[in-house]
Amino acid sequence: MTTTTAEDLTTTRPPTQSTLAVRGEHQPGHARPAVLLMAPFLILYVLFIIGPSLYMFVMSFFDTSLVQSGLGPFAGFRNFGDALGNPAFWASMWHTIWFTILTTPPLVVLAFVFALLADRVRRGRWFYRLAFFLPYILPSAVVALIWIWLYTPELGLLGRVVTALGFPEPSWLGNPNLAMWSIAVTTLWWTLGFNFVLYLAGLQDIPRDLYEAASIDGAGPWQQIRRITIPMLARTTSLVVVLQVIASLKVFDQMYIMTSGGPNFSTRPVLEYVYDVGFTDFRVGYAAAVSTLFFILVLAVSAVWVVLTRRQEQGF
Amino acid sequence: MNGPISRRTLFRGALAGIGAAALGGCSSPVGAGLANTPLDPGTVEYWNLFGGGDGVRMQQMQDGYRKANPNTPLQAVTLAWGNPYYTKLSLATVGAKPPNVAVSHLTRMKTLQEADLLQELHPEDLARHGMSAEMFNKRAWDAGLVNGKIYAIPLDTHPFVLFYNTKICGQAGLLDGAGNLKPIKGPDAFLDALTRVQKVTGQYGATHGINADTATPWRLFQTMYSQLGGQVLADNGTKVVLDDAKAKQVLDYLRTLTVEKKLMPGSIDYQGAIALFASGASGFHLNGEWEISTFQTAKMPFSMTLVPNIFGGQYAVQADSHTLILPRRGDQTRAQLDLSLGFIKSLLDQSMTWAEGGHVPAWLPFAQSDAYKKLTPQSNYAAAADAAVYDQPGWYSGSGSNFEIVMGSAIGGVEAGQLTPEAAITQIRSQLTALAGTPSPV
Amino acid sequence: MTTVTDTQPQHSAPTVTREAIDRRMKLFNAVCAGVLLAFALLWLVPIAWTVDTALKPNAETTNPTWAIKDPTFASFRTLFAQGDIWNWYASSFIISTVTAAATVLTASMAAFALSRMRFRFRWVVFWFILIGIMIPQQVLIVAQFKEIAALHLLNTYWAVILPQIPLAIAVFIFKQFFDGVPRDLDEAARVDGAGFFRTYWRVVMPLSRPVVAAVAIFTFVWSWNNLLWPLLVLTNPKLMTIPVGLATVQGTYGIRYADTMAGAILGALPLVILFLFFQRRIVEGIAGTGLKG
Repeated sequence: MTTTTAEDLTTTRPPTQSTLAVRGEHQPGHARPAVLLMAPFLILYVLFIIGPSLYMFVMSFFDTSLVQSGLGPFAGFRNFGDALGNPAFWASMWHTIWFTILTTPPLVVLAFVFALLADRVRRGRWFYRLAFFLPYILPSAVVALIWIWLYTPELGLLGRVVTALGFPEPSWLGNPNLAMWSIAVTTLWWTLGFNFVLYLAGLQDIPRDLYEAASIDGAGPWQQIRRITIPMLARTTSLVVVLQVIASLKVFDQMYIMTSGGPNFSTRPVLEYVYDVGFTDFRVGYAAAVSTLFFILVLAVSAVWVVLTRRQEQGF
Repeated sequence: MNGPISRRTLFRGALAGIGAAALGGCSSPVGAGLANTPLDPGTVEYWNLFGGGDGVRMQQMQDGYRKANPNTPLQAVTLAWGNPYYTKLSLATVGAKPPNVAVSHLTRMKTLQEADLLQELHPEDLARHGMSAEMFNKRAWDAGLVNGKIYAIPLDTHPFVLFYNTKICGQAGLLDGAGNLKPIKGPDAFLDALTRVQKVTGQYGATHGINADTATPWRLFQTMYSQLGGQVLADNGTKVVLDDAKAKQVLDYLRTLTVEKKLMPGSIDYQGAIALFASGASGFHLNGEWEISTFQTAKMPFSMTLVPNIFGGQYAVQADSHTLILPRRGDQTRAQLDLSLGFIKSLLDQSMTWAEGGHVPAWLPFAQSDAYKKLTPQSNYAAAADAAVYDQPGWYSGSGSNFEIVMGSAIGGVEAGQLTPEAAITQIRSQLTALAGTPSPV
Repeated sequence: MTTVTDTQPQHSAPTVTREAIDRRMKLFNAVCAGVLLAFALLWLVPIAWTVDTALKPNAETTNPTWAIKDPTFASFRTLFAQGDIWNWYASSFIISTVTAAATVLTASMAAFALSRMRFRFRWVVFWFILIGIMIPQQVLIVAQFKEIAALHLLNTYWAVILPQIPLAIAVFIFKQFFDGVPRDLDEAARVDGAGFFRTYWRVVMPLSRPVVAAVAIFTFVWSWNNLLWPLLVLTNPKLMTIPVGLATVQGTYGIRYADTMAGAILGALPLVILFLFFQRRIVEGIAGTGLKG
């Protein structure tokens, strides 16, 4: 082992000091190349993530306009007060949460069931992976177009199936009570594959001899699932649930394209509310306040998850 | 999978492709996307929001322009109507790549102008293309001026009108000798007319969209409320001057027609209201004149006229105008300006095509011609253009705006029997006060 | 873990029960296979119907049957003739490729420094980047828009690319992987006189192909599918990406479901091809990293 002075990124001077220092111990020659290596990421990171986060927070205290430069007049906490006192804000918050409630359980449970079934199938596993995962890689716009067509009144495939069974055709996207369910079904079809793949990987990590031992002890398939599979997949499940909840909270695309938040705003999620007030009404200061409130919601959900998984891990 | 080699090749191929695309397209979209160069100078890029029959007619007019100007490429883009359209138009202008020419409702153009998104149009430039103030409908032209400056060229006025089924109204004894609807005046006369029609149809007297449609209830309300001389907003939208007594009078009347006497269905959407009229389940239909194409296609016996003067004041009817605007841009050259104005003039010259779609032309050389007078039923309601009441200005007002949504939801709620007139007025007042108290973001 | 075990004779139950259980197991597996097949086919119905519709002439799309009387590629030809789809492809390809390449490069360089180098404030930097994982980009749209507008980058590809590059989670995925790469190898390289950058580029990166592929594919797909942000900053139809164009621009009027479905297919095609090529990598990538768009 040799030591080095002023290490350069491009020169190939012989190293003159150990590069494998003990964790935490810092070495003077490392600072400059480290900064150079990290600089491209950090500059963009500060410019486009950290900067805007702070800017959003500051802007939420001003009446900033989309079409004028600068922050505009100071508003104090009025934007927050306006948002919290505005039924449209609460409605959009609720739609986001309602969508999350509607989509998370089926997306987790069905993905688990399908993965469980696929794990027992010997042949053609690639086919199931293709069938369930293919929709996931489609752009939201494509998914929305496909489902708008399936839901089209009179001509859509779904309406025809329903009428062929002798029921009146519902207005899938036109009925305010049904539209969110229709969007949830679309989302289930679209994103199930992701959770399916996570579960499939989790299942493959369960040692086969556990099942062998259980079946020797006379445990049937149901008992094996209940006593082995579900407990062994606890970590995967918590990962799937948190990723799913956070992804569902960020919903925007499906509503924007399929219903524009309608009918009568019955499906407008909070991100579309931000879009509407910020980019249609030009009120970016207010939109920043709404974004900040939404950010707090997402952080709260993440915090709940951290607490829950801590407890879970201690329980093991 | 063939391992790293194929991936690397793929990556290199992609890079080479990008390089070639960037080199090959200095004034192409790729050049604009990478190096921010201007997009296709020398073409006219035109945005509109026309769907349905209007869309078909606008395409005919665009084709007319292309035929007359084979050397000027015209790129027309149609975007979804209402707020999404204005959002896109504003963002594109803020983003320095707006279209050369765009359609805007007259009531939305004021906000665009205040946001400094529009180019001022100078009379001498317009004169070069044969356009001047006195050649346009005065009401539409004046409504488009801001501090006396020109920012928009009106293409039409599109009033709220009364469609009537000539066969049903004939059976109800409402037509004169020439087969036209006899004048209806006053609340009782209109109620009586609807009752007589209902006896013929067995279902409804009139229909208009209510469910999931905030614009139509607002248009009907505004028509009657303006006949009483009422105003909703003042001082550029910073004050709510709703006259509770007049508003209640109108809402009570609407409630009578729907909830109490069931002369109009109180819970029906836009398409359903059209379908009931087209199928003869109602003899009257209240809507914008643009639905003329729908009923012509349905080959039903119908005509159109002014919405009656129900409340007897000076005649007034809710309306808006489609105007043509030039979004502000940094790279405007005189040649490009002339291309844009030439395109606008070409659309005005094709006012006949546009009028066939129901709109009242704002271009007087056509509006005063015999050709237009002979065009029926369109010319029946031409007078509406001179009695047009536009939504009062305000940053949150105009066609398809938050203002119309607030008003329309409450009015529709009364017609559906979900709100009392008093509750509707309270709801309107509280929601509008919140909007009026919000500092204008433009 | 794929340990195969013997039957552990000391615990073995009477053979009769064993066989009964095996038979039950077989039946159960057969039922499982049947149910799964039914669902998988159901999942493919929307895609099949899309392809079916796209191959019909527009007028025939009102016909409810799967059979196509007069199959045609006319809808695809219409879309290609209209021209904008080529511009959308160009936008999407350039934006996604540059984003993926730049994300892999910047994130792996930063992760290398965090994993291999000992400098002051290393943990501060680490935590500083950790914050980024908690910030959903969607809440930043308002502030990012004002910023991009001030930089005069609206309606350029850079407006989409630049904010997509600093993906904090990518740094962590790389760091996790690098921490597992044996240090003897870069140690040896450094003894041979290689600088940090050479070690990173010549030793560690070639050993990290699986994670490079996973991050590259994911950022590519995520960037290709992104809607909200490019919807805001690319407002001229000639500059739009495929999803934004499909979601925004309305074409000609009348019944044109076949054209719409053809557009959907064209919008998805590059990704479907990518998926068929890299299916295993993508699936392993998800399982290994839990990446989600």
